[in-house]
Amino acid sequence: MPRLNKRASYLTLLLPAFIIYIGIIIFPILVSFGLSFTEWKRFKMTGFNGLDNYISILTDPVFQRSLWNNVQIMLISVLGQIPLGIILAYLLHRKWVRGTKFFEFMIFLPVTISSVVIALLWNRVFSPVGIYTTFVRMITHNPDYVVKIFESEKFAMIPVLLVLLWQYTSLYMVIFLANLQRIPSSVFEAALIDGAKESTIIWKIVLPALSTVIFTCSVLAISGSLKSFDLVYAMTAGGPVNYTYVMALYLYQHTFTFHNYGKGSAVSIIIVLLSVGLISLVRGIYDKAQKKFE
Amino acid sequence: MKKTALFALVLVLAMTFVSAAGTKEQSSDDGTVTLTAYMQIDPANDQYAGHNAVMAAFEEKYPNIKLDIEYASGEAFHQKFQSMAASKQIPDIYTCYGGARTAYVTETGLTLDLTPYLDDAFKSQFASATWNPQGSAGVIYMIPPAFSVCHTIYANTAILDKLGLEYPKTFDEWLSQIPTIRAAGYYPVSMGNKDPWVVNSWLLGTLIERFGGKEWIMKAAKGEASFTDEPFVKALDVIKQMSDAGLFSPGVNQMSNSEADQEFYQQKSVYLIDAGWRTSAMDAALPADQREAIKMTVFPALDGEVTHNTSSAVASEGFALSKALEKDKAKLDAALTFIKFYTGTEGATIRAEHGDVPSYNLDLSKVNLDVMQKKFVEFSAEYPMGYVFDSIMDGEGVTMLNTDLQAMMMGNGDPKQIAADYEAWVAANDSNRD
Repeated sequence: MPRLNKRASYLTLLLPAFIIYIGIIIFPILVSFGLSFTEWKRFKMTGFNGLDNYISILTDPVFQRSLWNNVQIMLISVLGQIPLGIILAYLLHRKWVRGTKFFEFMIFLPVTISSVVIALLWNRVFSPVGIYTTFVRMITHNPDYVVKIFESEKFAMIPVLLVLLWQYTSLYMVIFLANLQRIPSSVFEAALIDGAKESTIIWKIVLPALSTVIFTCSVLAISGSLKSFDLVYAMTAGGPVNYTYVMALYLYQHTFTFHNYGKGSAVSIIIVLLSVGLISLVRGIYDKAQKKFE
Repeated sequence: MKKTALFALVLVLAMTFVSAAGTKEQSSDDGTVTLTAYMQIDPANDQYAGHNAVMAAFEEKYPNIKLDIEYASGEAFHQKFQSMAASKQIPDIYTCYGGARTAYVTETGLTLDLTPYLDDAFKSQFASATWNPQGSAGVIYMIPPAFSVCHTIYANTAILDKLGLEYPKTFDEWLSQIPTIRAAGYYPVSMGNKDPWVVNSWLLGTLIERFGGKEWIMKAAKGEASFTDEPFVKALDVIKQMSDAGLFSPGVNQMSNSEADQEFYQQKSVYLIDAGWRTSAMDAALPADQREAIKMTVFPALDGEVTHNTSSAVASEGFALSKALEKDKAKLDAALTFIKFYTGTEGATIRAEHGDVPSYNLDLSKVNLDVMQKKFVEFSAEYPMGYVFDSIMDGEGVTMLNTDLQAMMMGNGDPKQIAADYEAWVAANDSNRD
C-alpha cells in the first residue's frame, strides 16, 4: 500500500510537467505532422494532398541548396566550433598563455552579443560601402572592388560559416573549460611526473573526461545547426539569389510569407527527422567511443 | 516565511485583477473610448513625422478617444499580424494593404467592409483612385491616406553640370554617359538590391508598363497575354543591359537601400533609383544646396515604348477596422472618426506639410513644403503613374522572379528563360489565373 501511494504521488508530481510537455512539444509536432499532408490556398486548407508537399520540397533546388547549407553549418559546428572550443579551453586551463582571464572574457564576448547586432556589424565592414571595402578600394585604386565571395554560388556561405565559428566557439570553450576545471590538478601533475607527453594527457585524460560533455555539445551543435535562422536572416536573408538559404528560412518563407502552412509543416517535420536521425547517429558514435575508452 | 510568500502572491494576483477591472470600468464610465491599434509605422523615422503630428492633433481634438497603439515595421509587423489573424485576435484599427500583401487579414473575414460607412460627400473629396475596389470581393477594406510612388530617378545636377552632361533623354544616351561618369571617378547609378524586391518594385513595373501599356499587365495576370510576350521580356532585357553595361554601382546586389542612399548622399554617384518617399529623408539629411541640385525624374525614353515618361504608384497602406467593431457602436464611431480625421482635410493638411502627397484632394500650392517635398509634389503632378508589378501578382511567384532577376544582374540569367519560368509558375499557381 505505501508503495502504491509512493507511485501515485510520483505520478501526481509528474503530471503537470507531463501535461505541459505534451501541450507544448508533442501536440504541436503531431499537429504539424497532420498539416504536412494538407494543401493550402488563399489562407484556407483545401484538402489533403498526400505526400505532395514532401515531394515538392525534396525536389525543389532551393530546398536542396538550403539542406546543403545546413550541412555546412553543422560541419563547421561539430568539426570546427567544438574542437576549437576544446583547444582554446585546454590552452587557457593549462595557462599556456598570459592573461587567461582577459582571453576568457574576450573569447566569450561574441556569444553574449545578439546575432542581429553581429550580422549588422559584419555587413557594415564588408558591404560595398563598408570600412573594409572602402579601405581596399583606396589602397588598390580599384573603385570597382567588392568582396566577391558574397556573390559566389559556391562560396557565399563561407562568410556566414566564419561568423558562426567566431560567434559560437566561445560558448563551447566555456563549457569545456568548466569541465576541465573539474579534473583534479593532481591528475595532470601525476601524469607529468610519470613522463606522459601532452598528446597522451589529451588522449588518455582530457578527452575521456570530456566525452560526455562533447556528446552533449554535439547534440546542441547539430540541433542548433539545423534550425539556424537569426544570424543568416539578419546577415544575408538567404541571398544573394538563394546562395545562403537555410531550411529554417525556407520554412519561414513558405509558412509566413506564402501562407502555405502545409508545406511549412512538412519542412518542420523534415528538420525534426533530420535532427533525430543525426543525434541518434552521434549517440551511436559516442557509445562506440565510450566502449573503446573503457 | 511560507505564509509571507503566499500572502505576497495573493496580493499580487488581487492587484492584477483589480487593475484589469479598473481599465474596463474607465473606458465605459467617463465616456472615453479606448481603441486598440496596430500600425506598420516607425514613429522614430523622419518619414513618419507627418503621422506623429496627425496623432498629436487628433489627441488634442478628441481627448475622449484613446488609441492604444502598437507599432512595428517590415517582416516583424506581418509576422505578428499573421499570428493575430490566425488566432482571430486582431486590434480595432490596423494598417493593411488593399492587395495581396495583407490578404491574411482582409481575405479571412476579419476586416470590416467600409463601403456602407462612406458616403458620396466624403468620397468625393478624394482622388478617384482611392476608391478602387480592393481584395477579391472588390470592397473597401481600408482608406489609403496617400499614394506610394515606387519609381523615381534622383539626379545630382551639380555633378552632371560639372561633367558637361544633362539628364539623358533616351536609355541609349544614358548608357553612353557611363564612360564619362566613371572617368570622373563617380558611379553612375546607386540602387540597393540586396533585398531583391527593390529592382522589381522600383524599376521592373515601370519598364513593363512602358513596353506594354497600362492594360497589358492585367491581361498577362489573367492569362489573356503571356509573360513570355515582348513587354515583359524587353523590360527584363533593359535591366540586363543596365547591369552588363556597368550602370549600377559595383556590388548592387550586396548593397542595402540605406547604403545606396548613403552613396548618393555622399555624392559618390550621379543618379539614385529609389521610391518617391525618400524625399523626406533627403530633406532631413542633406544640405540645402545639395537638395536644390537634385532633380526628380523618371526612366528615360526606351526604343519601342508605348507609354512615355511614366512612373509607378500604388495606394499606400491605409487604416482598416476589425469586423468585430460592428457589434460595438461607440467603438465603431470612434474608429471611423479617427480614420476620417487622419485621411480627411485636417490629417491630410498636416501630412502634406510633412511631405505626404495625400489621397485627399488638397491644394498643395498653399502648403508650406520643404525643398524635396515640393519637388515630390511637382513630380507627382507631372508624371503619369502606372502600376506596381508586385502589388498585382502573387508573392511566391514574385519572390521567385526577384531571385532570378538578381541572378541575371549577377550574370547568371537570360531574360527569355526567366520570362518562361515565371509564366510557367503563374500559369500553374498564381491566384490571378484561378
